[in-house]
Amino acid sequence: MRGWLRLVCIALIVAVATSIVGCSKPEEKKAEPAQPTQPAQQPAKAKDSIVVALQGEPSSLDPQFPDDGNMRAVTENVFEGLLETDGQTLKPKPCLAESFKSVDATTWEFKIRKGVNFHNSDPLTVEDVAFSVNRIVDTAFKSQIAGNFRSIKKAEKVDELTVKIITDGPDPALPVRLTGLKIVSKKHVEASGDTVGAKPIGTGPYKVTGWSRGVNIAVEAFDGYWGPKPSIKKALFRFIEEGSTRLSALKANEIDLAVNMLPEYVKDVPKVASVEGLEFPLVRLNQFKGAMRNPLLRQAANYAVDKEALATSLYGGYAAAAQGQLFKPGYVGFNAELKPYPYDVNKARDLLKQAGYKGEKVQLVAERGRWLKDGELAEAISMMLREAGFNIELKYYDWSGWLKILFDRNLAPDMILSFHSNDMFDADRTFSSLVHSKGPMSSYTDVHDKKIDAARSEMDPAKRQKMYEEVGKAIYEDPAFIFLLNLKDIFGMSKSLDWKPRQDDKRLLSEMKIIQ
Amino acid sequence: MFRYVVLRLGYCVLVIVGVSLLVFVITHLIGSPVDIMLPLQATDEERAQLEHQLGLDRPLIYQLMDFASGLVRLDFGLSWWQKEPALGIVLERMPATFQLVVLSFIVAAVVSVPLGILAAYHPGSTLDRVLTAGALTGICVPTFWVGLMLVTVFAVGLGWFYTSGYGTIRHLILPTLSLAIVPAGRIAQIMRFSMLDQLNQQYVTTARAKGLDERTVIFKHALKNAAPAVITTVGVDLGRMLAGISSPVEHVFGWPGFGTLILDTIQHQDFPLLQACVFVVAIIVTVINLVTDLSYGLFDPRIKY
Repeated sequence: MRGWLRLVCIALIVAVATSIVGCSKPEEKKAEPAQPTQPAQQPAKAKDSIVVALQGEPSSLDPQFPDDGNMRAVTENVFEGLLETDGQTLKPKPCLAESFKSVDATTWEFKIRKGVNFHNSDPLTVEDVAFSVNRIVDTAFKSQIAGNFRSIKKAEKVDELTVKIITDGPDPALPVRLTGLKIVSKKHVEASGDTVGAKPIGTGPYKVTGWSRGVNIAVEAFDGYWGPKPSIKKALFRFIEEGSTRLSALKANEIDLAVNMLPEYVKDVPKVASVEGLEFPLVRLNQFKGAMRNPLLRQAANYAVDKEALATSLYGGYAAAAQGQLFKPGYVGFNAELKPYPYDVNKARDLLKQAGYKGEKVQLVAERGRWLKDGELAEAISMMLREAGFNIELKYYDWSGWLKILFDRNLAPDMILSFHSNDMFDADRTFSSLVHSKGPMSSYTDVHDKKIDAARSEMDPAKRQKMYEEVGKAIYEDPAFIFLLNLKDIFGMSKSLDWKPRQDDKRLLSEMKIIQ
Repeated sequence: MFRYVVLRLGYCVLVIVGVSLLVFVITHLIGSPVDIMLPLQATDEERAQLEHQLGLDRPLIYQLMDFASGLVRLDFGLSWWQKEPALGIVLERMPATFQLVVLSFIVAAVVSVPLGILAAYHPGSTLDRVLTAGALTGICVPTFWVGLMLVTVFAVGLGWFYTSGYGTIRHLILPTLSLAIVPAGRIAQIMRFSMLDQLNQQYVTTARAKGLDERTVIFKHALKNAAPAVITTVGVDLGRMLAGISSPVEHVFGWPGFGTLILDTIQHQDFPLLQACVFVVAIIVTVINLVTDLSYGLFDPRIKY
């Protein structure tokens, strides 16, 4: 019997040994390995190749399916839409469409660019465009970003160079929406079935050359690209979830660009770039029940919070006071007349007195760890509110508990700290969810519904802008929010990388350069 | 023996099925993952639609029946997050963790077993005290902190190794060392304690009295009796480590293993993937336990199954 056991043990040891030997060479199993082969200290960085550290691995590389920032960091370089966003003004501009016009209230026509090729050398056709649009809105496809394209009914070929997109009602934001609708190859998608997310074929300046699961994705400049040739020829996207490891890798010169650096890392980073980001922390105030029903108290809360102090001491200067709204310049609906509520404790105290506030308990709900310094932010805000005389009870919940409270009106606390981001740069997205009475996180009664609904289908941009400015002004004067900050995105870069971050948070390899 | 193994395997299946069902129930109790999967701005309509797509709006009992029938076919469905078969994703990540964990246990054992024996052989000596204190420190320091320190010194400072990543021996060494610290401390402690216990037994005195040379006494007689305690520790620790305790180290080093996968899975509340993860872990742990138990027979002829 002991011989039997010994045999089992030997077999186990052999199995373990072979698996170790086997694992240490995973490259051999992959068809096209994407391995960094540089030595640790001096990465053999030819002048034209860089390494980018992402916060995690993309869930797929099918740009039409997931809602995934890690994926977009890669696919923005590989795929293109009919339109693209201007990196500084945030306005849509032609990309795969040479020109476009709105034919009537619900029909748009797009002339596609001639001489565009997919990475497999197939030319871009109107069929590809129509297929891409119809694929993403097809409910059977279950795209996670289908919500962005809800207004689109279908796309149809008009002639060899023209495609029309039909919406189910007037949609002035359609061009903005289309910047996020990447065009895929009909032939390739239909042929590749389930593997479409693993082997992407786009028209962008870079093509994917390898994906080593869990480790990295390699891309290479596409020779047949229709636009200007990028200066960086090769890039490797590595997945490093831990922020301090991204910092170490930057310091060890293993990577050239790291996203989401913490303000406290900045002094250690070889080179820093930052830009106003898309995140707007805010406190939602409950005007339906509890102490905060009184508008004077809601105003008082806005005066009581020192936005500048939060920006400088908590975020190390990598944040700015929000302009009395949840938009930054460039967003459709940004109201340039609004200014942040000034920090004025005495005024807040007066308002409290005026409102007859007797120290009733006010509950502030927050969570910790989802956003940059969210827990500390809640702590700081409650101290400032207490300073002004509010009797604040701060309560932290875990993420799913917090979400439940966020979405359930019956559970709504007096105050809840949340973060808002609007990747459409269009006021409709913000107002529909936070201000419209039917919105999932609505903080208002139906007083603004009419205007928001009307603006949603107003085709005259000037009129539409004006309507949003009016809504913005109204909610500024009768706030159901404490408008807090606009956070900045912080990027760590190697000394040799030259790049200016964009307002829309896209990191395009084609806009990067290596300097010596 | 054969009967015992079959019986134990039967228990293993029960445990694995039980754990899988328990996880199914718990995941469905913690609330709807829809809120986590969609952006905060999503409308109620979008939420309801996704809930319907995922089948979460059906009565729990139907979902459970589907899950159970999938379990029998080893089909956990597609991961919600990655849209690929969940079990495949887990198995794809297992080798990297296996490599890291097994290697770190080998390193830990090679270092700690001799040191533990040495300490037991000279109880109360300076060497013993230093080793005992060292072992305790090893158990107490957080592994991710060790990892960060190793990175700072050997990757950023000296540039000998990579800070993170996977593929070569220079990626492997730092995470292996960080992970080896805790088991090394535990093995050294148990080895010392168990060996000391054996050395005080009468059979050791008898062996010495009949003139056996010291090496035979230590390695053939005492070590053999001291080994099962160490094996038990290794078995338990190995199971825990493969079950995701390696997560912090994998996270720090960007290691593409099971530890990072299970963290991501929990974060995404990807039920199918989570269930596949737990299923695989349950198998690994029960198998390791079985092998550990069977191995006692190797060291102690009195143990018969």
